[in-house]
Amino acid sequence: MDLLVAAIPLVPILSAILILLLQEQLRHHSAWLSTSAAFLTFLLAVVVLVIEVTGEEVAQSGMGEAGGYLLADPLSAIMGVLIAGISLIVHKFSIRYMAEEAGYARFFMLLDLMTASLLVLVSASDMLTLVVAWHLVGVLLYLLLGHDTSRTNSLRYAFWTFITYRLGDIALVLGVVVLVHTYDTWSIPELLRLVREDPHAMSLLGVPATQAAALLMSVAAFARSAQFLLHNWLPYTMDGPTPVSALMHAGIVNAGGFLINRFAPVFVYSGDVLHLLFIMGLVTAIIGSVLMLAQNDIKKSLGYSTMGQMGFMIMECGVGAFSLAIYHLIAHGLFKGALFLGAGGVIGAARHDDGVPKEDLYTFVIERRPARRQPPWLFMAAVTLIIPVFVLVLAHLLVQQDFFQKQGAVVLLFFGWITGAQLIFATYRMRSERPGRLLALVLSSFVVVVVGYALISHVFEQFLYPDEKFLQLMHHASSIDIVWFDILVVVTTLIIVGGWLLTYYAEKSGKNRSYSPGRLRLILYALISREFYLADIYTWMSRGLLRLAARLNVLLRWA
Amino acid sequence: MEWGVLLVAGLFLPLFPQSMLFNALFARVQQPLLRAFLVLAWPQVGIVLVVAFIEELPGWLPYWGAATALMYALRALALRDIGLWAAFIATSAWSLLWISVGQGTDTRYLTLFALGMSLPLILLIFLCHWLERRFGAAYLGLYGGLAQTAPRFSGILVMVVLGILATPVFPSFFALLSMIIESMQMNLFLAVAVGTVWLLWSWAGANLLQGLVAGPKQESVGDLGCGLMWLNIAVLSGLAVTGVYCLGAVV
Repeated sequence: MDLLVAAIPLVPILSAILILLLQEQLRHHSAWLSTSAAFLTFLLAVVVLVIEVTGEEVAQSGMGEAGGYLLADPLSAIMGVLIAGISLIVHKFSIRYMAEEAGYARFFMLLDLMTASLLVLVSASDMLTLVVAWHLVGVLLYLLLGHDTSRTNSLRYAFWTFITYRLGDIALVLGVVVLVHTYDTWSIPELLRLVREDPHAMSLLGVPATQAAALLMSVAAFARSAQFLLHNWLPYTMDGPTPVSALMHAGIVNAGGFLINRFAPVFVYSGDVLHLLFIMGLVTAIIGSVLMLAQNDIKKSLGYSTMGQMGFMIMECGVGAFSLAIYHLIAHGLFKGALFLGAGGVIGAARHDDGVPKEDLYTFVIERRPARRQPPWLFMAAVTLIIPVFVLVLAHLLVQQDFFQKQGAVVLLFFGWITGAQLIFATYRMRSERPGRLLALVLSSFVVVVVGYALISHVFEQFLYPDEKFLQLMHHASSIDIVWFDILVVVTTLIIVGGWLLTYYAEKSGKNRSYSPGRLRLILYALISREFYLADIYTWMSRGLLRLAARLNVLLRWA
Repeated sequence: MEWGVLLVAGLFLPLFPQSMLFNALFARVQQPLLRAFLVLAWPQVGIVLVVAFIEELPGWLPYWGAATALMYALRALALRDIGLWAAFIATSAWSLLWISVGQGTDTRYLTLFALGMSLPLILLIFLCHWLERRFGAAYLGLYGGLAQTAPRFSGILVMVVLGILATPVFPSFFALLSMIIESMQMNLFLAVAVGTVWLLWSWAGANLLQGLVAGPKQESVGDLGCGLMWLNIAVLSGLAVTGVYCLGAVV
């Protein structure tokens, strides 16, 4: 097992070294060497996961005195399979996609090094190895995004990514140093044990170490997972090669969720930091989704969609559903990777024929023509609001009877309800010759999604966090005062249902069709279309710094 | 006596304003071998002076060192002359050594930290000389697209710059990590200042790469010879192996 753990990142490293040494001889065969290594890595990762699922003890492997310890536990095993799997798909896709590009062998060498760094990151057993791998991922992504050096734009946006990542890297280093100072160990398993024993140990900063470290690590997670204010790099990195975009959106941005899970006990004992995660995730999810809807470029729209999904992932951590965040990042990684790899082909094909059948869905979504005959609104309102609650509650009861006691579960239920109700609400206006059949199809899809989600997330929870006491702690840590919680739920529900009723009324009375844009609407439109002016603000700030640097140089005569 | 030594030590382990002397001297010296010698020996003289003659360091000195490092890292953002860029980054890096001195770090480690920071800069000095021979001057933005016309040179340049920017697994990374650990023992703000210096180096490094490597293909000027390329790779690999060894020492 120890050898297996070490072999997983070692295979892509060996492949990269071979490509570096033999690129003249290998030429285009370097792609096949690299892809074969990716396949072998994936097989090894699957073997480790199977061993973990069968209940093998946690294994460790290291480089002796030189450190570099790796471990195989459920979290690293599951992340290893995800990374190796996505890397294999990206390798295979790149063989033909990158064939005409300059630096073909270099691209595969960097891809191998990136795979190895990600694998080391998820299986690092000591914090120094984790920090090293975390840094290397940022540097390699910079090099991969700037692969086509003839395009100055790709390097410019790669720089945005690099500098945002570096900000997070420094926060991670500071967080790690706080923990090392307080608990006097670099080993992650040992640290987590000590944190459970003495969660309120004071750091040198005069606050509990868990709180200070969790706050700093949150900043690292926010930078890597493109949370609001640190997200600008994500939608602008489309100038890089498509396979790199796929790898980035499917694997690299998820690192924030992984980091929080890896240091779960630190976050559980960190007081209000979990609430900060929830708020930041919520704001990011809303802003990411709004900006996604405002884009007319498919890839940029996908970029903002990733931002929204990352917001949900961080929010899940904030409500104590750590394992759900892992399930979310895996599901999101797979579908977003597929979307990116397919985006180019779809755009190309759509130039000749959009391929969208002119059916009910088309007239509804594209031409925005609602149905002429609509079912009775009272009946539809009842279906819209009640059925999702019914399905969600039943699905959750199936896996956990006491879920109503957990605020995190209620919050997630609430989001499920809004999504489900919004889905049915939209269906209500669709043209269909058989509206009953359409509604039944929508509802059955919803049931499949909800039951699947509830069951799989339950299995994930059992696999990643088998300790029932720790699970209780997680849910307790993310809870707030019950009175405030109930008030928040009621107020949010009233706002959302009120919004639906207003929309319905506006549609019914035809107000929506003859509106003249008011001042507020124009301001909102300007804000959203300019992406809240954040890029402009950052550019203005950096130009100010450059001017200051230049003035200092002149003042001090360049010495 | 001790104040006098401190003033002189502030020349070699640069503290503003004495740091200006090193940069003025570096700008005057054009010979790459002499520049390399300066970069290699300058901080070592400072370490010897501090270790041999100063018994107790004033508490404000590490902060002054960090402020000097911040100022030179910031000023490096606006530079276009690669030689001057190397000198400013060297000044910034060596100023941070005052934090380790203040924490009473072992002399052997101080020497290694200084070496780890100086060696990639020496490689940059030679690369800068190569550019001067080809183009008459080594300036950012004067000619771009070197990755297209001189891929071997560009590859080595990227690795060298990464080594200067304290990227793992180069020794400079472990030196900087140790300084953050040491500064955290003194004050959180000092640790944040070291982190900010690191951030500014990264920005300055990315500017350097963007100004040289990126851009459309220009007229060919030849590339670095294979022998020189492998020599550079060997030195960089040696540095990386030393870094991994340091990793074990720190853990």
